[in-house]
Amino acid sequence: MDKVKGIIKLIHSLVPDNKNIRIMNVCGSHEHTIAFSGMRSLMPENLEIIPGPGCPVCVCPESDIINAINLSKREDVILVTYGDMLRVPTQKGSIRTEGKNFRMITSPFEAINIAKSNTDRKIIFFSIGFETTTAPTAGILEMGVPENLFILSSHRLTPTIMEILVKDAEIGIDGFIAPGHVSAIVGTNAWNVFSEKYGIPTVVAGFEAGNLLLGILEILRQLKNGKAETSNVYKGVVKPEGNMQAQKLMDKYFEVANVNWRGIGYIPGSGLELREKYSWKDARIVFELEEVKETKIPGCICGTIVLGKAYPSACKLFRKACTPKTPKGPCMVSMEGSCNIWYKTL
Amino acid sequence: MRNSNSKIEIGHGSGGKLTRDLIEKVFLKYLNSEELKPLEDAAYINLKNQHTAITTDSYVVRPLFFPGGNIGKLSICGTVNDLAVSGAKPRYLSIGFILEEGFPIESLEDIVKSISETSKNAGVSIVTGDTKVVEKNKCDGVYINTTGVGEIIKPLSLNNISAGDAVIITGTIGDHGTAIALARNEFDIKAPVVSDCAPLTDLIMPVFEIDGLKWMRDPTRGGVSTVLAELSDITGLGVEIFEAQVPVRDDVRFISDMLGYDPLYLANEGKAIIIASSESADTIVSILKKHPLGKNAAIIGNISSEFRRARLKTTIGGERLLDMLEEDMLPRIC
Repeated sequence: MDKVKGIIKLIHSLVPDNKNIRIMNVCGSHEHTIAFSGMRSLMPENLEIIPGPGCPVCVCPESDIINAINLSKREDVILVTYGDMLRVPTQKGSIRTEGKNFRMITSPFEAINIAKSNTDRKIIFFSIGFETTTAPTAGILEMGVPENLFILSSHRLTPTIMEILVKDAEIGIDGFIAPGHVSAIVGTNAWNVFSEKYGIPTVVAGFEAGNLLLGILEILRQLKNGKAETSNVYKGVVKPEGNMQAQKLMDKYFEVANVNWRGIGYIPGSGLELREKYSWKDARIVFELEEVKETKIPGCICGTIVLGKAYPSACKLFRKACTPKTPKGPCMVSMEGSCNIWYKTL
Repeated sequence: MRNSNSKIEIGHGSGGKLTRDLIEKVFLKYLNSEELKPLEDAAYINLKNQHTAITTDSYVVRPLFFPGGNIGKLSICGTVNDLAVSGAKPRYLSIGFILEEGFPIESLEDIVKSISETSKNAGVSIVTGDTKVVEKNKCDGVYINTTGVGEIIKPLSLNNISAGDAVIITGTIGDHGTAIALARNEFDIKAPVVSDCAPLTDLIMPVFEIDGLKWMRDPTRGGVSTVLAELSDITGLGVEIFEAQVPVRDDVRFISDMLGYDPLYLANEGKAIIIASSESADTIVSILKKHPLGKNAAIIGNISSEFRRARLKTTIGGERLLDMLEEDMLPRIC
């Protein structure tokens, strides 16, 4: 603990009095640690730690969820997806409230088992998330999946959305804490663009409070020296080149696509769809899914919060109409959503 | 009747011969207090003390059998502990069963056997009972209701609590919630976490004699956090808990991290939170530590008038809110 106290002291000494410093994290698990450790209460007043787009469930388009609900109503289908996804609200309810044949899974391998034991049904794996969950989905495709298993891909790319954020002057990011799990897949090299092209210190950190504090300290050190680098304080897990095997498989099965981010809009090259070669596994094509027009949730500012332009506490619905029990927007549902995390800790 | 083929039939709830059979061959085989034996409509009980505590609770836990216990053991512990933390010596229990048609009688016997053992350990007599049977798929195996009566030995009230009091926990937190989560096999995790389900009578009663004892509560559903947030809400006092002092098993902490749970919100079935004057806190902890169920007892925080709400001082020195549980991540935990 003395080491942690030492890091906090150094952080205070490196933050200049006359300037606001804004550091963004882009990972729900990072935000979880930051909030649950009460880290913000230990920071200098003019150092902000902003939660960014770290919640995959929060940005999953309403259209995909409604399509998933409708698919689950077919008698010949079992929809399988991660737990958080089941509760995300849409204009048509959530998968849990409106869906019919659906099951929660914790890993894509379970989807295979469900497919094998239900050969008379079509199993649709609603596969969502950033690079961390894309890799295992590519993994099962490589292993060979049963004939009756299809993929509804709603995967998103972290570096692409981060680049959008950097270019947005309204947000004004001085440093990035790069996500530990995503970095394990894409490698620290994926973040070089931020330090080299945009001059923003970018530090890969792990999930313990002490390690995250070390990451913040490293960003401040770079800011003080006026030299942006991509550094790594999570060296045991993250390598510069990342997991090459996973990258290879992701590239084999998926291609970059222009996709919609809920509450934000279409972002070119920010998502992954199955390659045409595997279209016979692509639920969008096999089941001829059509896009449903997204509705705006009255009062909900999830999209703005995801982009780091507002804190959850700035939303008029927060803690009033919108609670984990009565979530209005996706950010209050997921354990990785900023609103849900802030609700529990603030 | 202990035959792996016998199953609960609708007739077992008829009140007629089959019911009588079930009572004699399963319930009375294990439960045989003097008060119960006459099988009258009501039991005569003898309460020497006029000040009596009474509580009731229903049990719908899923799965029925889990590491460290089953619904039967739980139905005794839960009600006994509600009496014990109210400063009462648990004396008599009633027990009501709702059984699903087709439920194996062998499993019912296992449950009743646990009930018998646990009530003996807890020092209570089961003096009256009831059985109903519902059609297949109309309930999930077995539901149990128990009502408990106890003699008040040390009247306790939230009004006794004042700034400066200490917050004590009798042992590691989150064991029951974690054990149930794992027992449901919804996660691909194997770990030797056992529910803490236990009657607290023996552990807690010696503490009744300590003057500084103010209030107690067993942190079941919603965990420690919910109890303390409620305490703060009702008394208007602040509660500060020091994360580094809260006993949590390593495997419970690890699994919580993996599943996104917070041990402070996980259910316990064999723990008590004790609020006591700061002068008496060390004595109470040393009394608790003498009992096997209290070996990890610790002072984990204090009551303050400087702020309202319950908050946690984290291991890195930060602060965060402790609130009442909002989302029930594990329904049917008890």
